[in-house]
This record gives sequence, C-alpha cells and structure tokens, in this order.
Amino acid sequence: MRFPLTLLSLVLATGLAGVPVTAATGAGPARALPASGAPAPAPARPACRAPYLVDHKLPNGARWRLCWEMRTIEGLTLTDVLYTPVGGREVGVLRSTALAQIHVPYDSGEPRFHDIGTLGEIAVALQAADCPGGERRGQYVCVTTRPRGHAYLKSRFEEPSLSAQGHDLAVYAAFQVGWYTYLVEWAFSDDGAITPRVGATGSLSGFTSASGHGWQTGRGTAHVEQSHSHNIFWRLDFDVDGKKDDVVEQYDFTGSGTAKRTLVRTRFTKEAKAVNGRTRWWRVVDTRSRNADGHRISWEINNSASAQYRGPEDEKFTRADLYVSQYRSCERLATNNPTPDCAMSVDRYVNAERLTDPVLWVNVGYHHVARDEDADPMPVHWQGFRITPRDVTAKNPR
Amino acid sequence: MRRGRTVMALAGAGALALAGSLLLTAGDQGPQAARSSLGPPALGDPLTGDEIARAGEIASATLRTRMSTGRVELLYVERDDDKAAAHLRRADAYIYDYGADRLIVRTVDLGQGKVVAESADRGVRPPPSRAEEARAAELLLADPEHGRRIRAAYAAAAGRALRSASDLGLRAMIYTPRRHGAAAEACRTHRCMRLFVRLPDGSWLDTTRIAVDLSAKKILALEW
Ligand SMILES: [Cu+2]
Repeated sequence: MRFPLTLLSLVLATGLAGVPVTAATGAGPARALPASGAPAPAPARPACRAPYLVDHKLPNGARWRLCWEMRTIEGLTLTDVLYTPVGGREVGVLRSTALAQIHVPYDSGEPRFHDIGTLGEIAVALQAADCPGGERRGQYVCVTTRPRGHAYLKSRFEEPSLSAQGHDLAVYAAFQVGWYTYLVEWAFSDDGAITPRVGATGSLSGFTSASGHGWQTGRGTAHVEQSHSHNIFWRLDFDVDGKKDDVVEQYDFTGSGTAKRTLVRTRFTKEAKAVNGRTRWWRVVDTRSRNADGHRISWEINNSASAQYRGPEDEKFTRADLYVSQYRSCERLATNNPTPDCAMSVDRYVNAERLTDPVLWVNVGYHHVARDEDADPMPVHWQGFRITPRDVTAKNPR
Repeated sequence: MRRGRTVMALAGAGALALAGSLLLTAGDQGPQAARSSLGPPALGDPLTGDEIARAGEIASATLRTRMSTGRVELLYVERDDDKAAAHLRRADAYIYDYGADRLIVRTVDLGQGKVVAESADRGVRPPPSRAEEARAAELLLADPEHGRRIRAAYAAAAGRALRSASDLGLRAMIYTPRRHGAAAEACRTHRCMRLFVRLPDGSWLDTTRIAVDLSAKKILALEW
C-alpha cells in the first residue's frame, strides 16, 4: 500500500507538523494500469465509487471513508476504511473487515452449526424504517448516522460547562440464517472509535433439551428451550497508515492484591493467539507514523465482554479470543475456510510465521439462555467489541 | 430463475450442471453484482453482473464437457481481494469437481480475459451454491421416508399438496463433520450439507439429524 515518496505525498505531509513523512494512505497515484514491467502502483484509496463508497463527515467534522461490498460468502465486507480526525490528516485503519464465522454449538453437545454459508445470498431486504435517518445502498445495506450521547462534559469555573454530543456513522446489513436473523454492523464514531457488533434476532430454534441444558419457555414446564452459544469471529486486516510497519502488541498489568500495578508489553513478532483478561488489551501500531506529540499511531482492541466459550478437541478454534496471523489472501473464514491449498481454520493459520502484515481474528461469544421474552420475534441480543484510537491524534479530536 | 433450476434438476444431472452455470450467465447476477452501470467499475467495486458471467465462462472454458455431464459444477464467483493484486480486476471462480470430490478455484484476470491462477484440494468445504441447495432438497424429497414426512407436513401447513421443492423455504449449510456415526464419516471427503426447510406457515421441519451427501446422492442420518 505504501508507494515511493512522491511529490504528492510530500505535499500532503508538509501540512502535518510533527508527522514524519510516510505515504499518506488517502492519496494515491492515478488508477491507470502500469506499463508492463513497471512495478504496480497501489490504487487510490478507497478504491471504489458510488454507490459502494461511503464518505461521511460527522457533525463534529470527523470524516470516515470506506467501501462496502456484499460478498457471496462473507456477506457485508468493508474495505479501505480511512479516518480523518477533526483538524488532522486522513489515516488508514483497516484494509478489510468482515465476519469470519458464527459458530453456534448447543449446550447438550449437539447440534453445532457453522452459520457462515453464502451470506450474500441471504441478506434481508431492508425497508426504509430499517434505516432510520440514513440511506439504503441497494436493498440490503444501510448507511446512517445516530447520536451516541455525550462526547464529553466538563464543568468550568464561572463559565458554562464545555460539552458536546457525539455521533456514529453506522453501516449494517441483516442476514437470515435458519431461524435467526443476524444484524451485522460496524459503527464509526466521531472520536475515531469503531464498534463491530452482531445482533441476533428472528426466532429461537425451538430445540428442546433435558432440563440441565435449557430453560423452560412458553406456558408451564412442557418445553425446555436449549441453551447455546453464538461464537462470532471477525477478520480484521489492519493497515494502520498503510500496509507497512504494523506491529501487534499485548498489554497486561501485573499486581493482584498489591498496591502497585506494572505495565507489561508483549510484542508479537510471530503469529500468535491470546485469551482475554479483564485488563488485557492489544493494539496494532504503526512503528513509523507518529502523531504531533511524537507518539506512535495505533488502534486498540478492547472490551469484548465475551462469554469465552471453549469447545472440545475438534474445535480448537474456540480456544483463544484473539488470533494474529500473517496476511494471506486465502485465509478468509475462521472455520470451514473455503479456499484450497490453505489451512482450514484460524487456529491453523497461526503457526509461528514471522509477522510483517498482521491480520487480527477476534472471537466474541455470547451464551444464550432463552427466556419467555424471547418469544417471537426475539428481541435483539448484541455482541461485539471496540477498536479505539490510541495516540492517533495529539489530543481529544473535537 | 432459481425455482426453474429445481425443476430442471429432475431431468438429470446434465441438465442440472448446465443450470448451475446458467445461474451465472443469464442475468441472475449474484449478490455482489453492481447495480449502477455508470461507466466501468472501479478497482474496489463489487463485480458487475457482466464480469461475473465472463469470469464464469473463462474459468469453465476447459471444463465444458465435464460440466455437461454434471461431474463438474460452477458454484459461484467472488471478487478476488488479494492485496498483492489490488491494482488488478480479478475474480475467483469456485468450481466443484464431483468426480474427484475436489474444489477448484480459478482466478480470472478480467483485464487479460484469462485464468491466471488455479488451486485445487480435496476436503475443502465452501458453502453450498443455490443449485446444490435445490439438489439437496430434491434428494430429500426423493427419499421415501423423508419425502412422505415433508409432504405431510407441507400439506398440513399450506392446505395443499407439495408440487416441488421450490414450494419450500430452503437454506442449505455446509455440514461440518464430527463423530456422528458411521454413515456421516463419508462427509470427511464428500460434499455434504445440512438443509433447513421452512413451511408456508413459518414453521421449520426438524432436519437437525439429517445430512445430504451430494457426492453419493444419499441422505445420511446423523447420530448423537
Ligand atoms: Cu441464540
């Protein structure tokens, strides 16, 4: 993604005090194909046009640009996600993100579904009311903005408080997988945060079970609806400020029953898997690009609130909450990967290869114990995680 | 279009394979087909219907004979999103070789109009295509016991007799092999799917303990 230093990127970089000259992701050369033999120039980003281009400025001035695509297998897929903080330059965040699996094992041990089939074929047509305040792109995708409450509020001395309301740009689609309808959404906030999440609605499966594996629903004791997990995997190909120089770090804080806590940083130089911890988080950091404070630009992965389902021996892919693999175009799904000459599941993608272009796989589980309120149509239950900017700007971008 | 294929499936494997490839050439352009046709697509735009059709034709060019006998089937075409080829317009055609139980993926460079890469492997489980979904339903209906059960449930729910599989709300999902009894072991190498069947009253048939083995054209009982 990073092309040689051109006059164009120089021009762009001069406007950015304190930012070392690295190729600006948002600016690329013309899209013409190279003459044979010449190195291929990276296409301009985002590499799409209307109606696939989303280019939106939120009320505080923050701007997000990205492309969407309804792929046959993964369904809604976002590529070339670029963020421009208020008053700052545009920075690349994600090259691509999509769902990588929805694994639904029932508590009695069977059945166990892998719900990603051809999601693109089972997208649910959205009505105008399903896209409030926004714009439907084709029949299946909604692009809209909505309030997210206070961005900040600070009381001041002998002055009115300083406060603002924040907004999200949301891009989503819905998919009908058997009984369930899944809402698949990415929210892009005006402070640079991204919230990928999936909402499960539609209907319960109606599977019964012995009472130890479910919850009585409906009148009396006749029906025990079987509990189950929704283990959702996202594939996130981060390209922070371009493809090069991205590194993944894990942060832990030692000290339990002690007054002191100490930060411990682990840098993943090779492919890795990791499990959640209450204060553990990760970040994808560009080792060359810095903000105006001289700090490295990064995006942090946190707050999954996963139920952390761990499956049997033949479901090793459930045994970590984060996988970091070296980019390979054939590695697309977390299980039942659909491409030949490629490993079959995400746990197999991680095999100590050196990381130069990391792809993150985030596993967030929700354990669903049915209740009477789930009777049709089932209220949405959400699961997801957060991607927050860390040192992308030198201060609160507002 | 889709339901038409179901009827053709009854005419035999050859007609079905043909129908499978027609899916991608006769205007039913798949989910990613670009809807606006203002000028050529940008590099990151979804494939247009025309590109999907061309990629399917180019990828199948050397397979026509085996496709006509139903041994080989074009499943679907995806835009190739390899970062190393981001400056090119490419499509991946997913082709299943039922003769060898092998998935073939051919990468078509739409600019050059030719296949530039091919990979193939046994035991890969790409999701079912619409044609496979319809064929799985036909197999289930053709099974005496399951066919009788489904027809009875349909008649009760709809108040009329089932005419064909196209009357049913279908959703096939790839079957992920586990220890589900001796019969299901075949699915470690065969192309097997689960089938969800929805009736007109919105209810679902219980098909959780059934897998359809499309390679062997058999219905398998899953045991647990
Ligand atoms: Cu559930």
